Amino acid sequence: MYANLIAYCGRLILAVLILAAPDPASAATDALSLSPSAIVMGAQYSGVDLTVTGSVPVGADVIVRLTGTANELHLREKGKVFGLLWMNVGKVIATNVPSVYLVSGSRPLPQMGAGAAPYRLESLVGTIGVKQEGTDDLIDIPHELLRLKEHEGLYRESAEGVSLSAATGASQRFTAHIKVPPSLKPGEYRVEAIALKNGAVVGQSQTAIAAALTGFPKWLSELASQKSALYGIMATVVAIFSGLAIGLVCQSKKPH
Amino acid sequence: MSLSMNLYLPIAGASVNCLAIFGLGGVVGLLSGIFGVGGGFLMTPLLIMLGIPPTVAAASDSNQIVGASTSGTLAHFRQGNVDIKMGLLLLIGGVAGGTLGVQIIALLRRMGNADFLISVTYVLMLGFVGGYMFLESLQAMRKTARRTSDEAPPKESLYAKTIRLMPFQVDFRRSGIQLSVLMPFLLGALVGILSAIMGVGGGFIMVPVMVYLLRMPMHVVVGTSLFQILFTCMNVTVMQAAKNHTVDFVLALLLLLGSALGAQAGAKIGKKLGGEHLKILLASLVLIVMVKMLYDLLARPDILLTYAGGH
Repeated sequence: MYANLIAYCGRLILAVLILAAPDPASAATDALSLSPSAIVMGAQYSGVDLTVTGSVPVGADVIVRLTGTANELHLREKGKVFGLLWMNVGKVIATNVPSVYLVSGSRPLPQMGAGAAPYRLESLVGTIGVKQEGTDDLIDIPHELLRLKEHEGLYRESAEGVSLSAATGASQRFTAHIKVPPSLKPGEYRVEAIALKNGAVVGQSQTAIAAALTGFPKWLSELASQKSALYGIMATVVAIFSGLAIGLVCQSKKPH
Repeated sequence: MSLSMNLYLPIAGASVNCLAIFGLGGVVGLLSGIFGVGGGFLMTPLLIMLGIPPTVAAASDSNQIVGASTSGTLAHFRQGNVDIKMGLLLLIGGVAGGTLGVQIIALLRRMGNADFLISVTYVLMLGFVGGYMFLESLQAMRKTARRTSDEAPPKESLYAKTIRLMPFQVDFRRSGIQLSVLMPFLLGALVGILSAIMGVGGGFIMVPVMVYLLRMPMHVVVGTSLFQILFTCMNVTVMQAAKNHTVDFVLALLLLLGSALGAQAGAKIGKKLGGEHLKILLASLVLIVMVKMLYDLLARPDILLTYAGGH
């Protein structure tokens, strides 16, 4: 009994020690700092300019990316009906689709060599799975999905936005600006920085950021989804009273 | 934060510029004040163009029309231009039709065709109403140009005979007509379905229906139409909110403020312009919106995938 407990505690301590020890990859880049530290979606939210700072070995290229959790996504495929009208025809289920994928580099990613390839937006074509194909075999689903997400501003690859400052000793600080689009949904997102030298990854670090509704949008969104009938009645009543008020004000000014 | 005009709409999931939405409400309100139509048929496509999802645009527009038609009904009621009996019958039909329309939309959303149906209904209705109005006002302008004084007495058509032979004939005193109660009920239901699908008050369909099919006098048509639209849109708003979660109340309120003010200015401008020219202008506007929507249906979409509807 005691021996078991001691062995268990021993393993626990060992596990804590292992977790606390810096792993060799992250030794090359220290912790990332984010500003703002959370995405607050209030009444005036219109996307946010996220600043990510950290340090990398001197002379390294930097890739910074913000990704959302990968999920299954239900889609519709467009096709011609009666050979004339474009409408949604087939059902498509794609798997392992990150909700958001924003990546930028200190220089264009294709110039950084082989090590940068897995971080490129195009690499998603290989990782996104298709569980259910639509009716048209000619449509390249992962490719079209990338374009759909790019159009919404949720997927982006850019060669700008990451700047390196002068070297101090063996390391060098970087600052990345990520434009987070307003269409981003509330949830948890991951921010990563990857250091590359001569086409190989030499360091990596990551942190998390949460996006959450707050204030009036939060209240309204909860009301609309949880007490939807009440919400509908409230919307109607407020509209009637606004209409009456506007009608009365305008008529007193200008009698017919 | 400084005076930012951006507003985040959590239901639509979009950030919009307050002034743009207020201005859109104002422009559509101005047009509706000039031309005497509800303006919903213009509002929804314009909202879609601004990036609001079609189902949210249609439902929020219904919400907006509740407010706009309240003030209109109030004004017409004071002038005695509301045929309550006719309005209530159209309303009962409209509520039945609207409820059915919301169910249809919910079903189609699950099947993924809701947005397509909204577009097709728009194209057909805009084309029909725009085309009819254009031809009618063109004929009226030719007539006044020729100054023909001899007008043939209207012959009793097959349609008129059918109406007279329908059961449950009732006297509508305010409108000065006699009709079967089934007529307003069925026509009300038809307009109700269309208005739920399209997110419009149904005014631009209801007014021609009352003028050409129910043969009511024009001044009573406008007041009764607004009275009926008010209740139909109340029903549609509550149903859409409860079933589909597509009513964005903030969006609706912004549009309402803009359109109410625009309508007041429009009414003043409308009085200074000539009637038939106004009709042709409106018809052209309606047809332009129709052509744009038709183009979207016929041209190959840029991206061949879209999100599946429903939450």
